[in-house]
Amino acid sequence: MSATHKNILIYGAGAIGRGYIPWVFSPDRFVLSYVERDEKLRTEMFRAGKFKTFKTAGDHYEELEVHIGKCFAPGEEKDFLKTADAVVTAVGPRNILAIADALRGTKMPVICCENDPAAAETLRQVSGNNNVVFAIPDVITSNTASEQIRAKDSLGIITEDGKCFIDDRAREVGGECSYIPEEELKKQWTAKLYLHNTPHCIAAYLGYFVGAQYIHEAMQHPGVREVVVGAMREMQKVLEAVSTLDKEFIAWYADKEIARFSNTLLFDPINRVAREPFRKLAPSERLIGAAQLALSAGVFPVYIGKGIMAAFFYDNANDPDANIHHLVSALSPRDFLHIVMGLDSHSALHRTLLKSWDENQSFLSTLRP
Amino acid sequence: MKDYSSQLQLALSAAVAGGNILREHSGDRLAQNEKESRRDVVTAIDLYTQQEIVRCIKAKDNAPIIAEESSVEEKKDITKGSCWIIDPIDGTVNYINNIPLSAVSIAYMDEGKPVVGVIYNPTLNELYYGAEGIGVYKNNVKIKIRGGSPEELLYAMSFSGKSYHSAMRQNEYDLFQDINDTTRGCLRTGSAALNLAYLASGRFGGCTGRDTKAWDIMAGILLARLAGARIEYTVTNAEKFLINYIAGTPEAFELLSKKVSEHFK
Repeated sequence: MSATHKNILIYGAGAIGRGYIPWVFSPDRFVLSYVERDEKLRTEMFRAGKFKTFKTAGDHYEELEVHIGKCFAPGEEKDFLKTADAVVTAVGPRNILAIADALRGTKMPVICCENDPAAAETLRQVSGNNNVVFAIPDVITSNTASEQIRAKDSLGIITEDGKCFIDDRAREVGGECSYIPEEELKKQWTAKLYLHNTPHCIAAYLGYFVGAQYIHEAMQHPGVREVVVGAMREMQKVLEAVSTLDKEFIAWYADKEIARFSNTLLFDPINRVAREPFRKLAPSERLIGAAQLALSAGVFPVYIGKGIMAAFFYDNANDPDANIHHLVSALSPRDFLHIVMGLDSHSALHRTLLKSWDENQSFLSTLRP
Repeated sequence: MKDYSSQLQLALSAAVAGGNILREHSGDRLAQNEKESRRDVVTAIDLYTQQEIVRCIKAKDNAPIIAEESSVEEKKDITKGSCWIIDPIDGTVNYINNIPLSAVSIAYMDEGKPVVGVIYNPTLNELYYGAEGIGVYKNNVKIKIRGGSPEELLYAMSFSGKSYHSAMRQNEYDLFQDINDTTRGCLRTGSAALNLAYLASGRFGGCTGRDTKAWDIMAGILLARLAGARIEYTVTNAEKFLINYIAGTPEAFELLSKKVSEHFK
């Protein structure tokens, strides 16, 4: 590694951090170091000193070997931060505050890949670093891989050939990505949130019901596919009505996403995409937020409603939000929507979900294998 | 470890059913009967809510029930076996005065210890719940105690409506003053259940009380413990279900314990 390499410290060695970021900040120009809280993964990375990431390219994979600069447990990186040219975060929105302390007093660009613009804003405010910017890795990565890949590298990870949009205030960092103005980034986020995140997680929640392990398997089920495509079409109508995105872009984006979900090379795990249903059911998020937007645009969210219902009944005992199962089992639909989801009982969405509750529950039971 | 999912779900549905009655009747002018003191009152809503909670539980579980407004099934010793402990409204005086600090409190005890707890404040739509092996939550969020210097935390004390040891009453007020003057403050919220729920969710650093009724605190004791609090409680009168308790973050617990022993030598 030459002295001209830039040092990037990546918080989170998960799907995005390990699988996708090395394609954006290529090891031939950047030294990638990691902060990872999972001790087992950290130890394995430390021992191996390198890993491979595999990018889908048509019907095959391209592979990239990444030599790990350093690998730290949280808190051990403080001295190293002083020499880092940039920081990338990919820890999940709920964990963003845990890294704010470490970044306090720093000034280098911090590229926040958290699938939530609010997380970047929170990190900027709490850390006091005004160079925290939001980024959209528009890509599906999988933290599991086929046995064929794992045989090549136990740390191997699969990613799509995606695109990374970064706020152009971090342009100095460089890399294989699109630096765009904040306004343009907002448009990309709207498309990503409602044309990717919404149907993607609906595919995951319904996929869980049919017993699928990966998103592409879920999409092979006709009942799931119908709802995912239906939800996508609803969101297309909504965005055509309320956003500044043009109709052709929306249609292109929607078709591209349906094709991505069906990609049999990706091994995109259901339990990763469905993880933390309460976060995805938050008022401004991809499910409840999408349904509210639909109602405000005059689009009745029939298919989105089925997806929301599937999220309510996601009963994976290993999920951090496993308490959703106890709540939905214990409370009446009316109380669940009011107390747990915070929906006013006079609101249009409360009434819509309540009215279709039994019908949607019956639909879900038909999906069970 | 035993699975308490079914008891948790039962406690949740019963607490919310009870809470719905409280919300529907919030603001009603209610006839009040004093029990053991001016501050210890019961209204028709207490009784109606308790009936509904008991009905929900009895429909699905046979364990004995101890409830504030008369024991539904006699159970003399809460330190053994399993039972439900119910307070249909903890904070009745607040409720009848439209102060939004009252809650339904339901605990399930197994082998003499609280293992499931639900505290529901219907006015603020705050549902605290937890169970051994499952965790502790407020609405849809996992909760935990908040650390920090004990002097910089907020505390609460609960006082029985009646002093069972009148000679000690002044000591309680002295303790209250001591905590209030040496920390961020000490509150008397009127609901011991909510004090413990607030400790569990990081609002309070600690709370304590003497001769407190078991139905006021058993659910809260479990929630606070699951959230990381240190708890010490002693049954002082098994027949009347009276309990002395101290609960707090580990540092706040030390501070409270020291002050309690200074004032109750």
